Amino acid sequence: MSKITATRLPPPPVLDAQRTSKKPFARRIAKGGFIAALPFLAPALAAYVVFVIGPMVSAVRLSLYEWSGFNSDPQVFVGFDNYVRLFTQDPVFWTAMQNTIVWVLLSLVIPTTLGLVMALALNRPIFGRNLFRSVFYIPGVLAPIAIANMWRWMYNPNYGVFSEISEFLGIGDGSGATFLSDPKLAIYAIFAAFVWQIAGLNMVLFLAGLQSVSKELVESARLDGANNWNVFRHITLPALRPTIIVVLVLTIVHSIKVFDLVVGMTGGGPAQSSQVLALWSYSQSFLQHDFGMGNAIAAVLLGITLVLVIPYLIWSSKGNED
Amino acid sequence: MSTHTVQRTKRANGTSSRPERNTDYVRVGLWIALAMTMLIWAMPLIFVIFTSLKSESAIFSTSSFALPGSAEWSNYTEAIETGNLLTAGGNSLLIAAIKVPLGLLFAAAAAFGLSRIRFKHSRLLLGAFALGSMVPIQVALGPLFKTILDLGLLNHPAGVILPYIGFGLPIQIFILHGFFSAIPREIDESVRVDGGGNWRLFWQIILPLSKPALAALFILDFVATWNEYAIALVILQDQAAQTIPLAIQGFQSQFTSSYGPLNAFTIMSILPVLIVYLLFQRYFVQGMFTGAVKG
Repeated sequence: MSKITATRLPPPPVLDAQRTSKKPFARRIAKGGFIAALPFLAPALAAYVVFVIGPMVSAVRLSLYEWSGFNSDPQVFVGFDNYVRLFTQDPVFWTAMQNTIVWVLLSLVIPTTLGLVMALALNRPIFGRNLFRSVFYIPGVLAPIAIANMWRWMYNPNYGVFSEISEFLGIGDGSGATFLSDPKLAIYAIFAAFVWQIAGLNMVLFLAGLQSVSKELVESARLDGANNWNVFRHITLPALRPTIIVVLVLTIVHSIKVFDLVVGMTGGGPAQSSQVLALWSYSQSFLQHDFGMGNAIAAVLLGITLVLVIPYLIWSSKGNED
Repeated sequence: MSTHTVQRTKRANGTSSRPERNTDYVRVGLWIALAMTMLIWAMPLIFVIFTSLKSESAIFSTSSFALPGSAEWSNYTEAIETGNLLTAGGNSLLIAAIKVPLGLLFAAAAAFGLSRIRFKHSRLLLGAFALGSMVPIQVALGPLFKTILDLGLLNHPAGVILPYIGFGLPIQIFILHGFFSAIPREIDESVRVDGGGNWRLFWQIILPLSKPALAALFILDFVATWNEYAIALVILQDQAAQTIPLAIQGFQSQFTSSYGPLNAFTIMSILPVLIVYLLFQRYFVQGMFTGAVKG
């Protein structure tokens, strides 16, 4: 309240004259202030607060309640009971946690390296370059749920291509290879589809980053007798540093979100062996009608995301100010 | 073939062109590696196309690698007749047609407010928006369902359009803020000297100057909206309200073993996005580029 009054009070005239004369002309007549910006911000702020921030705060609140999710049923405050149940009595939660962690770690290495190699290979004039780029990138524009169905077909134990290949190689007992129905393999089988989906995306990001590598620097290094590896190690890699960080952050974000692929390929099975946190939260809320548990998992997911992402946001906002 | 000959000649020439010869070998090896990787990368799509054109007996008796003998188009007609493709396609198109321009307008306005109008804590607000682009949608699914239920928008296109706008904003605001900030401030000066206000600056100067970024975001957002699954899954539960991803999953669980029509359905569902990609290829790269440079 007092703040608003303060801004409305006209400043002492002398001071004002001094200040404005030092400012550039444009800034003096610029219509500034939050009030001027509000009409531009209002629609986005409203949508963001009501449909993104609000539900997230609600998720944390609901994690402290026992509730079926039906408006006709009461919400009963139970404190941290849901979390206690989650951490001590829900083995699936730990499977999902483990799978999510493995997923994040694997995707920080495999699709990123693959994307970088693709980008390095295609960052020079080479016959058919555009075709290569397109084929590598196209999986990234397809709906994950469609990708799940494509790969589910390829993993078909009787008629799928992977079964055919493993038969040809003499792996397995000949009764048809199982991938998605093997509790040990399922999560990795889904991960393979994820690599296919996301490597081209990383490639495009790296290709964009490679444009910032100084050509003069590379040429003079070569004249000095540097080989490919030296050029890559001492010129390309340092120049790619910001891109690498962006790719790694996006990879973490994509990995934590993984949901559609698992729903479409295994639904979390067999025996919940391929559960991930995002899907387990959904299953608890909407299939078991246990909104308390579902939102407790959601809150854990939110916590993990914030811990991983906030350092990056701070780093990038500092970088932008330079 | 021709590259091969070139190498031979060089080898005959002796050791004088040694570095070049090495480069040539590297190039050919690289190209072969790339071609093989591309073949592997194209395989999933090729298998799906093959299967979608095979009769049931051909699927059971021939190899996945085998070309379909005669194209079995009946898989496609069967998929259209038994699946929810046309209704879902219409719904998806309607939702994207409203969500994409509206969301982009909101994002552009907010990015303008954050980059061209000075006010306290504008950076903090930008950070708050940026944070939203990182958090998984699934965190909010439960409460979002309740919000939409309370608004009476369950099974209504608006029930997904509104959250789609909310969740699409952060990354678009972030990218557009970067783009707008790169437009020289002298332009603002000249508009204001002419007596123009913020609205005129936004509509007549900043937006037209940002057409490349807006076009790229439009295309990327169309694809993202077309593909979205999680929010649609909880909000659009009636079959009549389904979007394409829900229809794919519905068809899959209903006709688990009719492999021909199933794969035909998948192909038809990704066709619009593939066409959009092929038509607007450069925008994809551009959009990614803008995002990447900004970080």
